[in-house]
Amino acid sequence: MSSPTRRTLLRGATALAATAVAGVGVEAVVAAPAVAAAAGTAGLVSSDPIAHLLRRATFGPTPDMLAEARRLGVTGWLDRQLNPAAIDDPALDALLTRLPLAGAGIAGVRAKLPVHSYEAFGQLGRAALARAIWSNRQLFEMTAMFWANHLHVAAPSSGVWDSRSDYDSSVTRKYALGRFSDMLKASARHPAMLTYLDNRSSSKPHPNENYARELLELHTVGMIYTEADVRAAARLLTGLTVGTAGTYTYNAARHATGAVTVLGFSHPNTTADGGEAAALALLDYLATHPATAERIATKLCLRFVADEAPATLVAKLAKIYLDNGTAIAPVLKALFTSSEFAASIAQKVRTPLEDLTAAVRALGLGIEKSGTKALDALYHHLVKAGNAPLRWGPPNGFPDVAAAWASPSAFLLRCNIHLNLAAGWYPQQLTRPADLLKALVPVLPATYGGLVDALARRLIGSPLPSAGVAAVLSVAGKAPTSPLMSTDKQLAGSLPYLIALVLDSPSFQLR
Amino acid sequence: MRNTIDRGCAENTTLTRRRLLRRTAAAGAAGAVAGLIGTEFAFADAAYAGDTLVVLSLRGGFDGLSAIAPIGDPDYYRARPTLALPKSQVIAGDGTFGLHPALAPLLPMWSLGTLAAVHAVGQQNPTRSHFAAMETLENAAPGTSIRSGWLDRMLGGTGATGPLAGVSLGNAMPARLFTGPSPAVSMTGIDDFALAGESPKRPMAAALRALYADAPGVLAGAATAADAALGRANPLRSTTYTPANGAAYPATPLGGALRDVARLITSGTGLAAAAVDQGDWDMHDSLGTAVQGQRMYDNLNELATALAAFATDLGPAGMAKVTLVTISEFGRRVVENASRGADHGHGNAMLLMGGGIRGGKVYTKWPTLAPAALADGDLTVTTDYRSVLGEVLQKRCGFGDLSTVFPGAAASSFGLAAAR
Repeated sequence: MSSPTRRTLLRGATALAATAVAGVGVEAVVAAPAVAAAAGTAGLVSSDPIAHLLRRATFGPTPDMLAEARRLGVTGWLDRQLNPAAIDDPALDALLTRLPLAGAGIAGVRAKLPVHSYEAFGQLGRAALARAIWSNRQLFEMTAMFWANHLHVAAPSSGVWDSRSDYDSSVTRKYALGRFSDMLKASARHPAMLTYLDNRSSSKPHPNENYARELLELHTVGMIYTEADVRAAARLLTGLTVGTAGTYTYNAARHATGAVTVLGFSHPNTTADGGEAAALALLDYLATHPATAERIATKLCLRFVADEAPATLVAKLAKIYLDNGTAIAPVLKALFTSSEFAASIAQKVRTPLEDLTAAVRALGLGIEKSGTKALDALYHHLVKAGNAPLRWGPPNGFPDVAAAWASPSAFLLRCNIHLNLAAGWYPQQLTRPADLLKALVPVLPATYGGLVDALARRLIGSPLPSAGVAAVLSVAGKAPTSPLMSTDKQLAGSLPYLIALVLDSPSFQLR
Repeated sequence: MRNTIDRGCAENTTLTRRRLLRRTAAAGAAGAVAGLIGTEFAFADAAYAGDTLVVLSLRGGFDGLSAIAPIGDPDYYRARPTLALPKSQVIAGDGTFGLHPALAPLLPMWSLGTLAAVHAVGQQNPTRSHFAAMETLENAAPGTSIRSGWLDRMLGGTGATGPLAGVSLGNAMPARLFTGPSPAVSMTGIDDFALAGESPKRPMAAALRALYADAPGVLAGAATAADAALGRANPLRSTTYTPANGAAYPATPLGGALRDVARLITSGTGLAAAAVDQGDWDMHDSLGTAVQGQRMYDNLNELATALAAFATDLGPAGMAKVTLVTISEFGRRVVENASRGADHGHGNAMLLMGGGIRGGKVYTKWPTLAPAALADGDLTVTTDYRSVLGEVLQKRCGFGDLSTVFPGAAASSFGLAAAR
């Protein structure tokens, strides 16, 4: 029973290996269709490089952003996005004032909330979703979410009710386009991480190994460590804890002294007072370890390129990461301008979160006039799908490959939210275009087939195959050749279903 | 690790196009029949006559040393000066092992002999990584090139082919246990498994079926399985479920998931294998003593309450055709840590519940907790968890040969289940 499975997998792997080899030169152009064909997704989305870039580097293309990217070109658009401080975000900023605890420091949350309140978690998750949908700093937000997932501290999770928002602003967002070594050290000295992975209660006689293990396995080098490495790292990390004000503190009295060796790192660790510096030296060592470079490059490829990271690109990005002192921005720029990226069209499938954000953005649905009821509803949709921002329970973060999300339930949830958004049934508070049809298709085509074609070009960026057009129209009892006139009384009733089915199509699943 | 579930896998896309098409056709027919006869279920799926196997994954590393405490082993009390379960607090057992008081809701099953435990059980793989351990636990084919989940292979071996023959409940994401060619459905819950907008006037399901007719497998697999499963779930959803025998499921994710498993079983939809989860077992800190309000006590009590409700709901007749097993990626460190918790360990305990289980006892080849007997500080594994599952498959699920499901493993000879 398992042998056909195995063969299929090997075939897939072989095809992907071909990309890796081809990535070096002009062969990439030839390799692209071959790879897409292996997954069978070739031709389902536009192969235009700008559209490809925006499907990957944003939470869903919009007409405005496509026009901007065409004007600036790939490099110009990337340079603009990699300098988010220069991009205005007034509408989003106004919305975020309704979620003040998402940006609050530890003292601020403590001043506002009773102990163990979930309110700050709720606001933080909603803020993350709002930023994904409506921020103009799309690549920054995409990258910030990547790092939040990499150095994951679940929200909600116990003990970090007061510190999780601060972790977001002072660790993962602060260094999202900065240096990974800085981010890693900031995470190690943050009460949220020290609480989530229990280092705060670790001690000299009986070190708690939780943080040490995940620091090696998840945050840095991956599965190359030994149990002895975990125990040594746990000892070195003792003393990094949380003080009574809920803020980070180094407690020398809890630090286990004595020489340690972790992978290739060694430190005499002779004094308790020097324990923090020794721990930070380990973190610097780990951040610049070749295995960390390879692991981060691989994860960035999974995020932005393909479910099987092209080996050549991983090697290239790992080198850039190390050559630039773990700086992230040069790595991203190299990734998006690589031949492997160019050859990866139609190789990624949208997660439930990306499906939602892309649908809202494609439909042009705007921020609600007041309150956060719509945002609450969108967030809860993602809770059901298992993909609400920051909400993954374990410390490994959300998976980033299609197979981890492909389920009948997830498919139905996608279809259901598409129809609800298209019809405006739920949530009802999002700002909608005065005339959704006109906003999506300014000039009414002469046939129903023409209408679906226009909707697909607008919402997906490419037409559906003719069988797909007929399938969509079947919900309205129409054929592609059925005439369409502005006086058509059935059109308004059918439109939400037609839009929903276009969003339900295989093409929209791809990014 | 705090919460529930690790999902994620890289190879769930192995359904062939032909297979998908075959399933669509079958599902369409079943859906039509279901529509005609309303809530009367009369599905004629392929003949699987064994127990429904319910696999409960205890995520994070279940502490078998707390749940089924080795109270006869003096090293237990040396290693855990604050956390060890005092002999005076055990509620059942045999002097060598004692049940944690939070398991009290399961006492009737223990006394009746439908609940058993196996101790010092686990994987050959020595990893203490959650993620690596869960992956190998659920793959259960170490040293081979097989990448599917063992419950997928079990499902394939039963010959059960209905669209709801294999179901994971409690999460929309696919369960890695079911990774592989045998179709399985994941759902958050039966009541959530619906297609919006569907009506005679707006045949959304038919439109989606047509939309995905030519789609590549990586995108069509979920759509096609959803279509098939809706045919069965729609009539189920339209009836309110009232648990039998006064069973009261706790309002927890596990309670809700087991309630839906019972609902699938009693409605005769052909459920052969189910996967459910309970999280929050990664008690590096504040594992606590055996009193209410402590982490271990509360999580064990939630587990016991949900399992007891499930057994009560199905009753003896229902449980005669059901076996539930618990698995966890690893046990916990024998010696407690500074946080009144225990770090990642190795050997562990499993629970088995069902009418065919020879319960009321702990099966084990106890290696002792003497320092020299430990595996890198942890309980040594003397019984491969696959051999325990293998004995269940042979005695309760009609498996003669285990080599497909558990290559290289032999069934245990504990006699922990009665042959069907």
